[in-house]
Amino acid sequence: MTRVAVIGAGMTRFVRRAEETPGELTSRAVAMALADAGMGIEDIDAVCLGTAPDAFDGIHMNGENLIAGAGGTRKPYLRHFVGGGTGVMSPIHGWMHVASGKFDTCLVVCEEKMSPCVPHPAGAFLTIFDHTTEQPLDLTLIHIFALEMARFMHAYGYTEEEIARVSVTHKRNALDHPAAQIPEDITVADVMASKLLSWPVKRLDISPTSDGAVAIVLASEDVARARGITPVWIEGVGYRLDTAYWCTRDLAFPEYVALAAQDAYRMAGITRPAEEIDVWEPYDPFDYKALHHMNGLLLDRTGRTVHRLLDAGAFERDGSHPMCPSGGALGVGNPIAATGLMKIAELYFQLSGQAGRRQVAKEVHRGLAQAWGDLMQVGTVVIMSSEGSLPTRYSNWSDVTVEDLPGTPLKSVADAPHVEYHPELEYAWDHGYALTTYLEGFRAGKIRASYCAGCDRMMIPARPFCEVCDLRAVDRYFDLPDTGTVQTYTISHVDWASLPLPEGKVNIFAVVAIDGAAEKMGLVHLLGEVDPADVHIGMRVKAVWKPESEREGKVTDLAYFRPLAPEEEAGEVEAVMIKPEELTRATAKATPGRIPLDYAYTAGLGGRRFYTDLAEGRLSGTWCPECEVLMIPPSAFCEECLEVLDPEAQARSVDAGSGVVTAATLVFEDRMGRPLDAPVWVVQVEFPDAVGSLIGRLLGDPEDEALLGLPVELVATKEVGPEHVAFRAVG
Amino acid sequence: MGVAVMGVGMCGAFPTSDGLSYREMIARAAQMAYRDAGIVPAQLDGAVSVEEDFVSGYSIADEYVPDQLGVARKPVYTICGDFLHGFGSAVMQIETGRFELVVVEAYCKASNILHKDELLHFAFDPISERLGVSPHYLAGLELQHFLAGSGFDLDDVAEVARRNREVALDNPLAPYGGRTTLEDILEGRPVAWPLTEPMLARHADACVVVVLGTDEAARRSARKPVYVAGTGWGSASSIVARRDLSTSEGTEVAAGLALAEAGIEDAAADCDVFYVSDLYAHRQLMHMDALGLGDAELPALNPDGGCLGMGDLMEANGGARLYDAVLQLRGEAGAHQIEGAEVALVHGWRGLPTDSAAVAVLERERRTA
Repeated sequence: MTRVAVIGAGMTRFVRRAEETPGELTSRAVAMALADAGMGIEDIDAVCLGTAPDAFDGIHMNGENLIAGAGGTRKPYLRHFVGGGTGVMSPIHGWMHVASGKFDTCLVVCEEKMSPCVPHPAGAFLTIFDHTTEQPLDLTLIHIFALEMARFMHAYGYTEEEIARVSVTHKRNALDHPAAQIPEDITVADVMASKLLSWPVKRLDISPTSDGAVAIVLASEDVARARGITPVWIEGVGYRLDTAYWCTRDLAFPEYVALAAQDAYRMAGITRPAEEIDVWEPYDPFDYKALHHMNGLLLDRTGRTVHRLLDAGAFERDGSHPMCPSGGALGVGNPIAATGLMKIAELYFQLSGQAGRRQVAKEVHRGLAQAWGDLMQVGTVVIMSSEGSLPTRYSNWSDVTVEDLPGTPLKSVADAPHVEYHPELEYAWDHGYALTTYLEGFRAGKIRASYCAGCDRMMIPARPFCEVCDLRAVDRYFDLPDTGTVQTYTISHVDWASLPLPEGKVNIFAVVAIDGAAEKMGLVHLLGEVDPADVHIGMRVKAVWKPESEREGKVTDLAYFRPLAPEEEAGEVEAVMIKPEELTRATAKATPGRIPLDYAYTAGLGGRRFYTDLAEGRLSGTWCPECEVLMIPPSAFCEECLEVLDPEAQARSVDAGSGVVTAATLVFEDRMGRPLDAPVWVVQVEFPDAVGSLIGRLLGDPEDEALLGLPVELVATKEVGPEHVAFRAVG
Repeated sequence: MGVAVMGVGMCGAFPTSDGLSYREMIARAAQMAYRDAGIVPAQLDGAVSVEEDFVSGYSIADEYVPDQLGVARKPVYTICGDFLHGFGSAVMQIETGRFELVVVEAYCKASNILHKDELLHFAFDPISERLGVSPHYLAGLELQHFLAGSGFDLDDVAEVARRNREVALDNPLAPYGGRTTLEDILEGRPVAWPLTEPMLARHADACVVVVLGTDEAARRSARKPVYVAGTGWGSASSIVARRDLSTSEGTEVAAGLALAEAGIEDAAADCDVFYVSDLYAHRQLMHMDALGLGDAELPALNPDGGCLGMGDLMEANGGARLYDAVLQLRGEAGAHQIEGAEVALVHGWRGLPTDSAAVAVLERERRTA
């Protein structure tokens, strides 16, 4: 197996709202990483890219849109993801490229632009939940975090104040990070006093939403050694993905992180991680998460070690176990995938002595970065090491300041040319066999399970196979009692889009383990008829069903769970085997799905120039001095050489009236595939002395269908967006 | 290190599949593949799924991968691309020497997506490419560039559609087999003239699962392994306005890697059966050119009917081709068996607005030790 080194890194600033497009952000991180590695894009054999949900950038197949900015043009290019774990999965995937012997170098790029998603990017998290059994409850990410945080506090005896110390440290550490979005010197009291979003989660427990990009260069040992400086090695990798049935496992301990860490330790030959790792970068999208992950990374189910280290101040930058010296997601910001790769970059800086003011006090030989993601589900771990004494020949990153980093923060998208879009995406999700029986149970006022004899589990929601018994077919279905026990809960003040609920309204979500189901096998739902102050873990509850006439065969037929009084306890109730629903034309149904999001995309630096010109009926190209070409439309980078360009300073005028049609098509349908009232000509137009083309509509009614070679002019408009780009025949 | 295809499973293709949840569809294909490979999922070292968020309707679709593959808590990640991109990634994973058995999965529930053109339009760049009309406009432009830059005419394009749909009649899995004429195709309903509806593959639902393992693992347990001789993938620029629309540079890069790895200099002569993406009829011809197959007469081309016959399975397209290639190399393809198939070339394209492609070369026996 080829040894793999990190030989360069680059990043943009992390900002709430960047003017640059996703591709522009990416290109800047890539250009910096290449320069840091002393390479050109021609030295790169392959590119792999990580970005988490497409719902943030608001571009279907987002990885494809990022090819040019990531340096993937005419190269082997792969995009991978594992939700929030993507940032640390990315160097692992890059490692595979090189360790397999297939490529000598691999550029690893991570990007997230969350700001296009409006009114708030958190809305994109509604659709992380199961579309049939959970989305109807209008959940969002904060809810599942709050459920996990409450369970974590309960299991390990943490107070909210103790957890808040993590946020305080990370935000303070970030004061020294040039890319940081919200570095702050705050106190535990500030965290406690910040707005309560979904108990126990408060505003300052959470990392922000961010735009940003990070890139690193990986190389084989031969390539790395040839550079004549001590490389930083990837020594161990691990990644694990747990079941999507997240209500069926105890959220207190991240088993998936522990398993991933064990894989990485085994590969790196580490047997005593607490002593052998010098610097830690666990994922910290919420403050408790850093501690939760450290329990997993230290393989400590008791949680005592981490609690003790926190109490002793060991996680400070000058402590024995420095944690997130970068400032982490809480301080530097959290453009999801880019955050994980920022942590990898931090290890590279720390291990090569380039971290400047962030350099930890102790001598570092080995570091660990970890990311987490999905439904409390995925752990990704990378262990990196330096060789022998600290290398001293690096200096690229030690003194970098915010002025050195690309990324243009905007107060509002409205401050820049932008395009608004509402995707009309609707779905109907087939229930299939098992969920038909499960959902019909709700109509009948029953909680239904299927039973696997292989593992002796009564499973909710009912499923047709057992995920832990090698997909053994499961054919026995049962009605269970509609009572259970609260495993964890949150008192929420925000809706699925993270917008405040009406004054005085709260939603209490709980994971309820259902009586008669396998241990801790439950479902997430609402609690009602209870004072929020009286809710507690271990509380006994009973389902309250909607009136029969209002039930629709959906999980919301169960209105909520209410407290079950001791005198109502029915004792042991037998599960009743039932006949599952037969699938017919009448019973085979589907749950409607939706993407309830709107987008406002900044036009970016290239787009700003293009649409500013278009308003005046002008056109300019961007000159790439490296390739000596004039590119249209204007561009903030050259996809051939990855040179960073300035579409203003490097603009050269093109005669907007000198276009020639090089391809034309008569389009008969609208974007939904519905017939247009009148077909529309779409033309591709080239201009003399410029590389590239513009694509838009041809106005007027051409007499002849042979449009190739037709001279056209660009039509001026103040509207921004490709729908408004149009041409008119000249002469 | 050699990597082999140990087992394959396929559920579909169906125009709709409303009796099967996506989980049930995947579990069925997975169990077929595991049985074929002679393993149970507990033995797997990892899994690669090939998915896109807005196709699955989920943000971070990878969440819903492990259960129905039986790989919960194992190393799992998701690739966005054609099935063959995930296949290439999984091969690379095994080649690191740290994984022995890896499963690759892609599924398509296109019938559950109510506005597929809007979904495609949403993949176009919001600042320069979403024109508010049918996203197939780009295929219309491509078609013109291709015809202008090649020796082909529109009849040749129509012939691809006619021929692939007819060939699909020999494939019991293909829902869109049929006899048609050039005139039916050329005079079909225009979508983005000169592109007509019969030149586009219709969507279908399916799941494909493939178990990969080291050659040793394959010899140990698989019923009838075939061997991976080479893989490659590549992309042209994502900036449509500056891409050469007359050719597939992504395919050239992918084929260059895969054929070099397989030690094949003349694909037309050295391969026996060919699968070339025909999501749009003109793309098959364009891809053949980029694959170095030129306009060679290839009777063993898309013998399963290609996308035009089997349906557009979105991320699973290349998987359906690979599935058929494995059957061909095993001599198990039934009515559409290509006699004496020893080496298969399988190409997959990501679809518009991309020019991202992947190629795998499979062989019946290891030609080299």
